[in-house]
Amino acid sequence: MARTHDAQSTLRALATYGDVILEAHLNRGNRIALNDDNVGVLETLEHHRLVWRLGDTEDLQLKNVLVRLLDHITESERRRFASAQVDRLWSDLNRLFVDYREAKKRAALTDKSRIESEIKECLSEIIEDIRNATDTFSSYISSGFSYITDMDLRIRKNHEVIERAGQLNSLFESFNTQDLADQAGNDPFLKRLLLKYLPAALEQGQKNLSYALNQLRLTLVRLREDQRLSKLVGGFESYFANNRGYIPSIDDLDLGHCPAPLNNVAPFAIVARGDIYDPADDEDLVALAQTARTLAADQQGTEPAATLQIVEFDVVGASDPEEEDPVDELIEQLVQFVVDGDIGDGEIDALEALSASGLALDSATWLSTLEAQIDSLAPNDQSQITVEYKSQLDPLYKDNLYITGMTLRRSNESRI
Amino acid sequence: MQTNPLFERTVSALLAGEIICEYSHDELYNYLLTQPVQQKVSDFLQQMNRTLRQTSSHDAWLCSYQDLSRPDAKDAVRQQFREVANHMEALVQFLRLVMVVEAAQRPISAGEHLREGKMLERISTAPSLEAKLRSLCEKDLFRTKRSDSAGQLRVVLENLTKAGYLKPIGTSGSVFLATAKWSWLYDVMTFIQTHEGIREDSAEDDPQLRIV
Repeated sequence: MARTHDAQSTLRALATYGDVILEAHLNRGNRIALNDDNVGVLETLEHHRLVWRLGDTEDLQLKNVLVRLLDHITESERRRFASAQVDRLWSDLNRLFVDYREAKKRAALTDKSRIESEIKECLSEIIEDIRNATDTFSSYISSGFSYITDMDLRIRKNHEVIERAGQLNSLFESFNTQDLADQAGNDPFLKRLLLKYLPAALEQGQKNLSYALNQLRLTLVRLREDQRLSKLVGGFESYFANNRGYIPSIDDLDLGHCPAPLNNVAPFAIVARGDIYDPADDEDLVALAQTARTLAADQQGTEPAATLQIVEFDVVGASDPEEEDPVDELIEQLVQFVVDGDIGDGEIDALEALSASGLALDSATWLSTLEAQIDSLAPNDQSQITVEYKSQLDPLYKDNLYITGMTLRRSNESRI
Repeated sequence: MQTNPLFERTVSALLAGEIICEYSHDELYNYLLTQPVQQKVSDFLQQMNRTLRQTSSHDAWLCSYQDLSRPDAKDAVRQQFREVANHMEALVQFLRLVMVVEAAQRPISAGEHLREGKMLERISTAPSLEAKLRSLCEKDLFRTKRSDSAGQLRVVLENLTKAGYLKPIGTSGSVFLATAKWSWLYDVMTFIQTHEGIREDSAEDDPQLRIV
């Protein structure tokens, strides 16, 4: 009587402090913090021998018996390690089959009927576990592991889940139809369970699981790519921070075997003119020409001439500052750099200098302006600069050279 | 022979050096989805020493030289590379700014939305982000004399739109869609990383973390 009373009292305690116990189990690793709020709970649970601790100052830990019960009622463990759970239940079921056949052989009808209901229960648990397990994976897929903020941890978790799904898949595959048919033999009860209900649940489970595995693998590929890109950007950011003014260059590459990402074409403008030789286009062209003429007439004739109000004469000695030409300014700086500056081995590639300057100028104009400016330098300054031309022969007229680049270098004499 | 406006637009865009993706040129991208069309476009381009290529993530089409032994082709490739290399630092800074603003673990990718209002709201509440934006606007690609964050951000987004990295959507003009030109940029960055031996960013390299 006293034992029943104690058990009832324990169950009541579990009901009273259910919230705290569940919180400890689900979110605190089965620990209950040692503080003033929990004094009542801890005393009661200690009284019913449901918690333990080593030292007086340590948090109390739920006992294993209670943890197992909590695992069972929250189904967390069962979902997490469904493969182990199904495996264990299948072993139990195999033992029950042996008992069932034995009871049937001995014509122990009461035992046979008891074992039949046990088999049914065990099988329904297996089927439920199979369904639960595959449901868990779909929740992982829909979340995309976004609840884990760190990319590495997210990838690790994805790996874990794929591994778990793989284990479950191997377990499902271990149930083969021939084995089940052998197990069932000619017994109509076992046949119904093993060849009808279980294969249907397995088939559905396997279908869900293969979809889940595929999705998880895709997620993993995406996560890895995200991680790679994130590291790529981070790497460049650090490199730029540590190497001020760094500009990537491919000047050392021959480009004989050009890497695909670099093979980008220069814009190729497609220009076409109206066909004045085809009478079929006459009407359209006439309409266009008329519009063009009207506009020209407007611009030329109908605009009133601007009237001049006053005439201002220059004050003697006044001057308007002339704006510096940015190209001249850049060339002046370049020459200065070559002559005075300490720039590596004292040479500058003209095209690189142009692209780094941000000036919107085509290469040909730039090179000819630069050459003209250098030619116009005082002989003394000019002798300090050596110009090396990069050129290529005209494929048709062999004595013609096309200049494709210039390198300015400080003359050896002036360096000494 | 009957003209084909879609073919004409596709080829013109490719020859002009544009990158065709689902987000920048949806019609042309859909047109290029079937293999016979890809073949037709490729055959046409091959007569001009060009060919049709995809980015490594297979989300965009672009035009490449078929034979690079010709000096003009090599020069063009070098020139195209210089153009992106000169702005690389600015683009990397922008990518990092978006990652911080959006609290994202990865850089922007094709199809993602950028909302100017939301970005501005976050930037204006954090002086460090304002400083990042200011620094970004000192780079050639985004250079502006505007001193307010709203004006600076507008210039950045407009210039990225001009460069083909973003496309405005909706009627407000303040929501942008990232195009697959970013995928192409990541391909170029991956090449530079390998070529120049730039190390990947990793947590172990962080001196603060090492001390911890």
